[in-house]
Amino acid sequence: MSMGKFKKYLSVVAVLAAVALVVTGCGASTTGGGTTGGTAPVSITIGIGAPITQGATALGLGMERGAKLAIADMNKSPEAKAAGITFTSTTGDDQGDPKTGVNVANQFASNPNLVGVMGHLNSGVSIPSSAVYSRANIVMVSPASTNPQLTLQGLKNVFRVCTIDSVQGPAAADRATGDLGKKAVFIVDDSTPYGTGLADEFGKEFTAKGGKVLGREKTGDKDTDFKALVTKIKATNPDLVYYGGVYNAGALLSKQLKDGGVKVPMMGGDGLYDGQYIKLAGAANAEGDFATSVGLPLAQLPAGEKFTTEFKAAYPNDEIAAYDAYSYDAATVIMKGVLAAAGKVTAAKVTSPEGRAAVIAAVAATNYEGITGAIAFDANGDTTNKAITLYVVKGGVWIPYVK
Amino acid sequence: MALSTLIQQMVNGVTLGGMYALIALGYTLVYGIMLMINFAHSEMFMAGAYVGLFTLTGLTNPKLVGSGAVAFLTKNGIGLVLLFTIVFLVAGIAVGLLGVVIERTAYRPLRNAPRLAPLISAIGVSIFLQNAVLLWVDSKALPFPQVFPVIDLKIYGNASISTLQIFILVSVVLILIVLDTFVGKTRIGKAMRATSQDRDAAGLMGVNINTVIALAFFIGPALGAVAGIFNGMYYGTVNWNMGFLPGIKSFTAAVIGGIGNLRGAMLGGFVLGIIESLAAGFLSTGYKDVVAFVILILVLIFRPGGLLGESVVEKV
Repeated sequence: MSMGKFKKYLSVVAVLAAVALVVTGCGASTTGGGTTGGTAPVSITIGIGAPITQGATALGLGMERGAKLAIADMNKSPEAKAAGITFTSTTGDDQGDPKTGVNVANQFASNPNLVGVMGHLNSGVSIPSSAVYSRANIVMVSPASTNPQLTLQGLKNVFRVCTIDSVQGPAAADRATGDLGKKAVFIVDDSTPYGTGLADEFGKEFTAKGGKVLGREKTGDKDTDFKALVTKIKATNPDLVYYGGVYNAGALLSKQLKDGGVKVPMMGGDGLYDGQYIKLAGAANAEGDFATSVGLPLAQLPAGEKFTTEFKAAYPNDEIAAYDAYSYDAATVIMKGVLAAAGKVTAAKVTSPEGRAAVIAAVAATNYEGITGAIAFDANGDTTNKAITLYVVKGGVWIPYVK
Repeated sequence: MALSTLIQQMVNGVTLGGMYALIALGYTLVYGIMLMINFAHSEMFMAGAYVGLFTLTGLTNPKLVGSGAVAFLTKNGIGLVLLFTIVFLVAGIAVGLLGVVIERTAYRPLRNAPRLAPLISAIGVSIFLQNAVLLWVDSKALPFPQVFPVIDLKIYGNASISTLQIFILVSVVLILIVLDTFVGKTRIGKAMRATSQDRDAAGLMGVNINTVIALAFFIGPALGAVAGIFNGMYYGTVNWNMGFLPGIKSFTAAVIGGIGNLRGAMLGGFVLGIIESLAAGFLSTGYKDVVAFVILILVLIFRPGGLLGESVVEKV
């Protein structure tokens, strides 16, 4: 080997070594805990699957915040210490994209210490990912995926703590035709399973309640130009525009509607319910827009105030987004399942096949008073808590709508 | 469908098409001279929107420039002209220089490499720039403040055109005329055309090839930056992957018009914008991309060189 070649070889080795260091550095993020009875605590990993860099990142980052807060709380609890288990988390950035979501799911599945996943946000991501988790015996609890299909696949490991679109869509239509007195709606969706499903459910109930659907259009979830659509909507003269989709594109549609002279409110589902929606649309354009979201407002929940205080202490620079509390509950449900399973098969065996089956069984039997209310699952894995709240933008913020 | 709706859709389409045309010019300018597709061009559009946004928020921040200056810049007619002149100049020059730096570091070392190499390098630059903004600025979309006074003017029936749309259209047309004259009538423009016809021969005739290429990599990204600011002003948000869709569409526009041909890129941009708006308005929003790309396929089948492109016989 010549000297030059040797130098090249050396530099390759050095780079590989550096990469290896970084990788192991990332992997070793175990939070230290006390030891019980002389044995080191067993480390169990919870996967957080959410859009972090792309897609509905305001909601996704909130999911990560909520889950991490739950894990920190659980690690401090006497139950976890008694069981000899320390929880750690690993975040997978699904970018709100089904393909990336499945990659994340496969990464999670290859982690031997990972027994549960708190995620994902988008139904379009949750549905294909859930199949991967099912094969790996990983329990999945989604805080936010509302498309009914997710839990109708016959998978035993899939649960969610949020209400589904076949409840949310009709509830929105009932309020629109009832309290809001709307008679003619133009419906737009973003062509994702979430947006399409929600818009379908809304349209069915709106017609059933005697309202008229003036038109139905499909757009893309990454579209920015809605001017042509706005012109079309304007010609039909609706008194409400319903949008099934997420705030990124939804806010642009709301702005362009008002810019284009369609001065009627826009309404949508939980995907719009975020402060980012008002910021992007502009407060003046978003004023009077409606969104339904799952569950009751935090202020009306017994544990809401405690959660808000704790959240502010942990994340002084962030606002609570739609799913922070749901993610807290989803992560807690998984961890409680792990602790229950540890009681049956011992902490060391939670990651074994029988341990994983015990975790899934324990989560299915959940009966727990969470931040967002009482949590229990029906036979499909859907939450029994079916509350839906209507919010309206007033003075540049989302507030619960009062007639 | 009422006539006023048709007129409104044409206004929408022409504005959208103007922005496509500006971006398409960047693709076609670089392709004409380098015979490479600069896939990082969509990021020039994105970078322009961000630089424009930061300049605009900086100049309208009372803490930085004083409340008197802000009032002058945003409320006074002359102030507004001054404000937007600065915003467009700063973004155009900054992104133009970024383009030159990218050419110098990522493309020039590969100038004599196989043609696939600079293409891959361009994709790398594109991913690098997207992630740089993602990590250093924000992963969330940022609102673009509405400083420009938007007033709707009725033109026919219910159809209206806003002052912003007029501003975008007039600017685009002016830029197109200036660029066309620059390339067609000036000495350096002649050097650019010569380089595009035969780079080696132009070099032998005393044309400084490096200057010409650097100039193409300054003008293209600067125009992309201007389009980025228009996009921010028109739609009200910027985000780190905003360049992707307009980038693909404008590249399509450049191909429809005949890639390498400046007037073709302009024509292609307007054609694509109008077709999209009409398809969305008269068929369905879901079909607008289908119609746009069917037109692309038809153009490629019946006029492979594009609408204004010449079919070049492959030299043996």
